[in-house]
Amino acid sequence: MNRTMWSFFGSWLLLILAGGLVGSCHKQDFLGKNPNSTLIVPSTLSDFQSLLDNDLVMNQVPALGEISADNYYMGDDLWQIAGTRVQNAYLWKPDIFVGQGSVEDWNFPYQQVYYANVVLDGLGKIKTDNSNLATWNDLKGQALFARAFGLFNVAQLFAPVYDVTSADSDPGVPLRLTEDVQAQVVRSTIKQTYNQITGDLRLAAGLLSSKVLMTFVNRSSRPAALAMLARVYLSMRKYDSAMIYADDALSLSLPLLDYNSLNAGAITPFPRQNAEILFQAQFVNYSSSNSQVLAYGTTSCFADSTLIKSYDSNDLRLVLYYASVGGPGVGLNGSYTGSIFPFGGLATDELYLIRAECKARKGDTGGAADDLNTLLLKRWKTGKFSNLAFSSSKAALDSVLLERRKEMPFRNVRWSDLRRLNKESASIMLTRVTNGLIYTLAPIDKRYVLPIPPDVLQLSGIANNPR
Amino acid sequence: MGILRLAVSTILIACLLNSVPAYSQPSPLITFTKKNITLREALDEIHKQTNYTYAGESIFTQYSHRISISVRNAPLSLVLDSCFRDQPFTYEIVGTAIVVQARPVRDQTVHGWIFDEKKQPLEGVTILVRGEPMTAAVSRVSGEFSIHMHFADDRLVFSSVGYEMQELMPKEGEDAVVILREKIGELSDVVVVHNGYTEKTLKASTGSSDVVGTALISRRVSTSLMDRIDGVTSSVLFNKNIQANTNQSSITIRGRSTIFANPNPLIVIDNFPYYGDIGNINPEDVESITILKDAAAASIWGAASGNGVIVITTKKGKLNQAPKWSFTTSQTVGEKPDLYYQPVLSSADYIDIQQFLFRNKFYNGALSPFQHGAITPAVEIFDAASKGTLSSTDSATQINLLKGQDKRRDLSRYFYQHSLNSQYALNVTGGGAKNNYYLSGGFDENRSNLVRNLYKRATLTGSNTYLVLQDRMEVTTGVSFASSKFYNNNSGVVPGYYPYAKYADARGNPLPINIGFKNSYIDTVGGGQLLDWHYVPLNELKNSDNTTNLADYRINVGIKYAVRKGLDIRAYYQYGWGDSIGSNYQSIQTYFARNLINSFAQYKNGLFTFPVPQGGILDETRNTYAANSARLQVNYQDSLFRRGLLNATAGAEVRDIEGESRRTRLYGYEKGVGSSRPVNYDSSWQQFPNFGTSKIPYLDLNGNTAERYISYYVNGDYTYLGRYTLSASARWDESNLFGVKANQRGVPLWSVGGAWFLSREKFYKADWLSFLKLRVTDGFNGNIDRSTSAFTTAYFNQGGNSYGVGSATITNPANPSLRWEKINIFNAGLDFSFREDRFGGSIDYFIKEGEDLIGESPLDPTVGLTTFRSNVANMSDHGIDFSMHANNRIGNIHWNSILLFSYVEDKVTVYKEKIGPVYNYLGGTSISPIVGRPLYSLFALRWMGLDSKGNPQGLLDGKVSTQYGAMLGSGDLNDLVYMGPLTPRGFGSWRNNLSWRQWGLSWNIVYKLGYVFQRSSILYSYVFTGGSPGSPDYERRWQNPGDEANTNVPSMVYSLDRSRDNFYQNSTVLTEKGDHIRLQDIQLSYDLVRSDIRRLPVSRVKIYLYANNIGIIWKANHAGLDPDYVTGVPNPRTLAIGLKTDF
Repeated sequence: MNRTMWSFFGSWLLLILAGGLVGSCHKQDFLGKNPNSTLIVPSTLSDFQSLLDNDLVMNQVPALGEISADNYYMGDDLWQIAGTRVQNAYLWKPDIFVGQGSVEDWNFPYQQVYYANVVLDGLGKIKTDNSNLATWNDLKGQALFARAFGLFNVAQLFAPVYDVTSADSDPGVPLRLTEDVQAQVVRSTIKQTYNQITGDLRLAAGLLSSKVLMTFVNRSSRPAALAMLARVYLSMRKYDSAMIYADDALSLSLPLLDYNSLNAGAITPFPRQNAEILFQAQFVNYSSSNSQVLAYGTTSCFADSTLIKSYDSNDLRLVLYYASVGGPGVGLNGSYTGSIFPFGGLATDELYLIRAECKARKGDTGGAADDLNTLLLKRWKTGKFSNLAFSSSKAALDSVLLERRKEMPFRNVRWSDLRRLNKESASIMLTRVTNGLIYTLAPIDKRYVLPIPPDVLQLSGIANNPR
Repeated sequence: MGILRLAVSTILIACLLNSVPAYSQPSPLITFTKKNITLREALDEIHKQTNYTYAGESIFTQYSHRISISVRNAPLSLVLDSCFRDQPFTYEIVGTAIVVQARPVRDQTVHGWIFDEKKQPLEGVTILVRGEPMTAAVSRVSGEFSIHMHFADDRLVFSSVGYEMQELMPKEGEDAVVILREKIGELSDVVVVHNGYTEKTLKASTGSSDVVGTALISRRVSTSLMDRIDGVTSSVLFNKNIQANTNQSSITIRGRSTIFANPNPLIVIDNFPYYGDIGNINPEDVESITILKDAAAASIWGAASGNGVIVITTKKGKLNQAPKWSFTTSQTVGEKPDLYYQPVLSSADYIDIQQFLFRNKFYNGALSPFQHGAITPAVEIFDAASKGTLSSTDSATQINLLKGQDKRRDLSRYFYQHSLNSQYALNVTGGGAKNNYYLSGGFDENRSNLVRNLYKRATLTGSNTYLVLQDRMEVTTGVSFASSKFYNNNSGVVPGYYPYAKYADARGNPLPINIGFKNSYIDTVGGGQLLDWHYVPLNELKNSDNTTNLADYRINVGIKYAVRKGLDIRAYYQYGWGDSIGSNYQSIQTYFARNLINSFAQYKNGLFTFPVPQGGILDETRNTYAANSARLQVNYQDSLFRRGLLNATAGAEVRDIEGESRRTRLYGYEKGVGSSRPVNYDSSWQQFPNFGTSKIPYLDLNGNTAERYISYYVNGDYTYLGRYTLSASARWDESNLFGVKANQRGVPLWSVGGAWFLSREKFYKADWLSFLKLRVTDGFNGNIDRSTSAFTTAYFNQGGNSYGVGSATITNPANPSLRWEKINIFNAGLDFSFREDRFGGSIDYFIKEGEDLIGESPLDPTVGLTTFRSNVANMSDHGIDFSMHANNRIGNIHWNSILLFSYVEDKVTVYKEKIGPVYNYLGGTSISPIVGRPLYSLFALRWMGLDSKGNPQGLLDGKVSTQYGAMLGSGDLNDLVYMGPLTPRGFGSWRNNLSWRQWGLSWNIVYKLGYVFQRSSILYSYVFTGGSPGSPDYERRWQNPGDEANTNVPSMVYSLDRSRDNFYQNSTVLTEKGDHIRLQDIQLSYDLVRSDIRRLPVSRVKIYLYANNIGIIWKANHAGLDPDYVTGVPNPRTLAIGLKTDF
């Protein structure tokens, strides 16, 4: 090698040394810079709270149950523009989705499950001490509640109603319990599904704070978890358990809203944050539909006429829940969401109704009447309500169930109730008349379990429900 | 030894023959044509024709080259000259004998100096020994060279980029001094490849590149630089039909090799990547554009080069040059766009459909007094007639009036105009002995063909080079500044979907249209307390005040220091800064402001209050970037071994690009005063009329981005004997990828290549093909997807949640196996030219293999997310780039023709994730790869004709079916029919330039072949709901039984069956071929120089006319659609007149 070459390689060496020197000192700082200030890797307790506070994800419930239920009917003109999924679900067609995926009714609950799993997995990596333990516990409770809430809502649509005799073999819903998107999950059994839901909720009830914060009704609390447990056990027809949890919740002195204090003329008479709400959630908005079928102001969406007729003229719910929308019937008015969309969360009134039903079923007609009277006193015009008393447990039960329907139409409970009550031999026959044709749904029908969305079938390989 | 013996014996023979007395005789004429014959055969033929004998045969036959010769009645001396050209022998005519003798041997190293005309040493000049392709040298920084000469009569050939070739026979015992003259005119044969790090001639490189020189850049008239390379380079495709959400770039180089990562080529200006708006670059300041296509060319750019690299080199001054001024201007007039181009449903048909719907009670909901949403005028009339408030004759008259209206007429008249683009540019360049400079200023003003839209741009550029430290150090500085302003007051789109809208009455007075709310409602609501709620398109146009201001500057500093011969160190630094401020002032006159104020109006006790203040709304967006780039580089050049030449470069580079974006909205803003009013963002307000509650939109945000890179690179090439070149490069890139472990931030990328100058080989005898070079390269480029992360990533929602606290959305699930995308490119090319470069060209074959490409796969929604990005895909492209040029002179006419052809075929080879049902794949509207097919493919469902009721039919489970939902939702991808690629497979251009005396004529024909597109047809459910303007196919629809034999257009049924329409739209029957040939442009010029007319006050003046977007010559489809404009309207024809003057 000559001198030229030495200096050539020497210069390179110098350069590499210089580069290395710069590199070793500052390179990791230089390359460690966050490329986008709005992005985060959720890792702190406050990050997790922000995920759970995403109300556009966490406080949404599926609408297909209510759409399939009997609290309303559509005029033909609305049916025309309602969108394929709504059109078919409304008429209980065997195939609802006709190949179209992105079904919010499945996707949103599972998105809640995913967020909950991200939080739960993340919490596992945070060391707890006295300073953060309370928050940590509360977050874990919120996440467990969210997971159970999502799984329960999806099970009401896509899995058969809980039946103790066949729970070991009936197909439930897939239980995703980790944030790992690669994890393969198949359908669990109904028993596993409900064990997971009730287990999560019991754990949540132990971890969550006992107070409902009206400023943050989007977050769950112990009363919400207990109310959810009551709702879940009621749907399972485990009335003893349902009553225990309803009782537990009501023992936390939860107030009822006096409807006399509300402005019946307002479009949204119920504030979104009101004393009766335990957990705020609304019906999910369909992106694929032209028209929000179940919402205030939807033309040709009418409340079921027998339901309307069942209200006394002194019952304030008639004017608060319903409004004229033009056409032959009455449409929906505002709900506990404080907006034009129906409410799908939890509220104290439901606890009274659950407890009343459980009492009635046990033959405690007096107790059932007490609970109904407590509730209805706040629903009727002041001074117009006279206390109910029941001569038989059947009369009590009939009355409770009627009041349950009148108190909670468009609250995402009617479809569950239909499934459950038909199991209790209620024999409710559903009928629709659309475009001059009559459609019916028999009390015990495979179509009470909705088909799994096609994209889920394709991508997960799970089995569809027979229709 | 052989040569020496040969020489001795030849001299002996020569001595013997010398004794024969010479006498003069007329030179005989020879005619013969022979290819690839030996020298001896040639001399035999000469002997046959002339009786001249030859001597020395025993020795020269085995050392001579084969020759090809074609002469007609040529004198003997000429024939012999060509026979002996580049032979190791020479000849002498002695009487009638041709004495072949060995050339005098010199066998020593010649030393010399090369200068330019200003006596500046010239570096990098190639020195070859004529006829001795084995010997080559290159001059050093000092201009010195040394080369080994074998024969005393050897001639040295000096060539360098931009200089005229020169030959010299050096005198013995003296240093050779050569002065090269600068070449004037187009650099057709010496094309320089700038890769942003180094320059070299195209002929010397192993890689595959395209270079667009100054002349070609200035051929086309446009404000934008990128327009100037459209249709003039092979392998660069300008995509015209880009579907939203398909991550397509408007420019692709050699097809596609990424799916979800950045699809855009890297743009490099003056050594560093450019992060600003390319619109800030004035094309007049650009010297050349180099397109780097293969691994060897582009891998120098490492991880950013996967989509190819476009290197822009700006103009520089030259040493020792008197100031040269130049001025150019052009005025371009454009037609109004043809709004009638897209076939849409006529107003009469549209109203007939509305009547059909009205009869079917479709509008009952909308007409109900509880609904306030606007309804179209025809429906209002039908409603009034059915209620009896309008007589049937009046309604018929009014309907007929509407049927005669067409909104395109008013749109064209009031919203469109002729465009007028004016360009002015002035520059001066020059230099002294120690410095040079280039200064330029440009001003552009484009009046858009949309009324009230205007674009203005001013650019200022200056660069200087100084030689210091006894010329050992070269310091270059450059500053570029651009300022531009857009006035975007007219989007060309008026809301409201009905085709019979009227925007002005007969006298031109603005008219309202029916959008928003019913007229009956607007006229009465609020009892006069609300703002006017009508939408008047012409007033909107008048009141719009939407501008964008761009500012951009670049500062370059470069230092080059020659350490010693062949070794220099370079340091470059660039600071770039750019700013874009968008300002949209929507005064209280605008519908937007009035509507927002009204809808937030709160009614209480007979009075309205206004949470959104009654005033204008000012939206401002500001995006700023600042880029710091620095590079330290060592260049080395030497003949490392005898007869070889080594070029090597090594360096390190740091880049940091910081961006900031900010958005603000001011309510109650009054422009003249500059005052705004506070609003309550936290409360939810009842919406008027009765749309639930809403918060006042809060749009303020501020975000920062940072892109940081550290790179190390080496690259070099070694040329041996001037015939064999080997090149190699390696690069290591690291970046601040988000959520990637420190040890995974980097990626090593490399390339190797070789070139073989076949025509310089001794055995190469194909004289007809005077230059032939083979090139092969292979290597890896990279690409980056900044949107993915190894960790679960979330962003904070703007404005928080409904409860006044921050909320976060997960965008990306954890992906621990995230890697960089890698693209392997193999390229084999052949460069050739013949007949003194009058014909030439190149052909390249390439294979691109994209590995570990980021794919977005649909996830089982049960996971909680519907898509997931990960390294799931591989792609493979292969193709051909071919270019051929011909320069011919026919009398006074000079004809220059360039044919470009590119072919590229891409397919997805691996896509690991499962995909959903077939509807995901239809129409090419989303990225849904199928293994074995191009990334952008058109898939359709099998069309089985109409049934006897006019319903479209397809196939389901092998049977003819009308179950549209089931067919669209099929999970069997075999149900899809592959119609073809959506991007052209073959494309290119054929450009011709004719010049005759001062006149020049040039035209460019461009073509795109081998692809398909999907046309639209009548989709009833979309027409019913106002989502589609419909198609005149309606007139050919099925109406009566039996029609199914003659038409494919389904019947109109009253059911909003989207599936039926979606099936028809995505059936095979609506696929069209995209192939077409287009006459892109014609330029006619008249070019005068002072030598033509002595009284010319300037040194040169050129006047030209330029017509662009002339039209389609041929297209394969019969749908009447220009395949470049399947949606939208074709670019209007423009005509420019221009002037270029040099002082």
